[in-house]
Amino acid sequence: MSRQTKSAVPKSAAPARFNAGDRVQVRELPNLFYTRTQMYIRGATGIIAERTYEDLTPEDEPWNRDDAQREQYYIVRFRQKDLWPGYPFEGDTLQTELPDGWLESAGK
Amino acid sequence: MVEEITDFEVLEIAVRELAIEKGLFTAEDHRKFTEWAEQIGPVGGSRLVAKAWTDPVYKARVLSDPISACREIGIDWAEPTGSGTPSDYMNLRVLEDTPTLHHVIVCTLCSCYPRPLLGHSPYWYRSPNYRRRLIRWPRQILAEFGLALPPEMEIRVEDSNQKCRFMVLPVRPSGTDGWTEKELAEIVTRDTMIGVALPRPGRTADDVRPVHKARRPVPHEGEARP
Repeated sequence: MSRQTKSAVPKSAAPARFNAGDRVQVRELPNLFYTRTQMYIRGATGIIAERTYEDLTPEDEPWNRDDAQREQYYIVRFRQKDLWPGYPFEGDTLQTELPDGWLESAGK
Repeated sequence: MVEEITDFEVLEIAVRELAIEKGLFTAEDHRKFTEWAEQIGPVGGSRLVAKAWTDPVYKARVLSDPISACREIGIDWAEPTGSGTPSDYMNLRVLEDTPTLHHVIVCTLCSCYPRPLLGHSPYWYRSPNYRRRLIRWPRQILAEFGLALPPEMEIRVEDSNQKCRFMVLPVRPSGTDGWTEKELAEIVTRDTMIGVALPRPGRTADDVRPVHKARRPVPHEGEARP
């Protein structure tokens, strides 16, 4: 059953802090139990490729916390050279999707 | 891949039988859903790509509103089974390859895959081997599939770790001028929409991956023990 049928009017999401092109860094946060922020991406710096949708975070949704604050999700693009030491190809990139709370601004 | 019944298959049978016993669904419900699930293949994706290759206006829609573009070719992500089971996953992104950019898709956390368009994922896509290695050594993995791309090209790995689902829109290969959509769809195989193969004239099937025979196989229902 889709979540839209469960609650009446969903609370508005936390304001989206980033736009396409912004430089962001993935936060190093402790997580108990469930998360979908991969270990390999923690602390990495990339740019916002696009905004995708607003939804509950993976830290809240599995616990049926339907009233928790929803967040903006983004596809974030990283240079492979920044992710892996000695990665030999200049132009290769990796994209993955992260909610707003896992990101902080990395300046210009 | 090892050809042997797995713990998960045993678990599925046990959970299914318990659910039927408890009245959560009937065996008939399960049979109908299984038949639907097992017959979906990559045909929808192939048709989408072939249509995008021949119709630039449709291609623009594929990139800007992919869920609507899917509906136009008969794939409805809101009602993928046609039997009232809505999908929670309505965020599709079609990744457009160019002569300088090649995409390849993985789900490192589990095995997320655009099933309404491509059907079931191949077993290798779900293996820890692929999921752990593709993000770190993409070119080596592609080479294992027989695909070696020049270093000047950008290889972009898409790790589908949340609710977006992805499919690759490959570059239309040369040697296909004047082809009909049907002819084009025949060379758009599943592996070309994951990103581990490139479409080309004459290539109408994905490469067969090795299967290791079980040393002590458990016979399936109805089979004699060897």
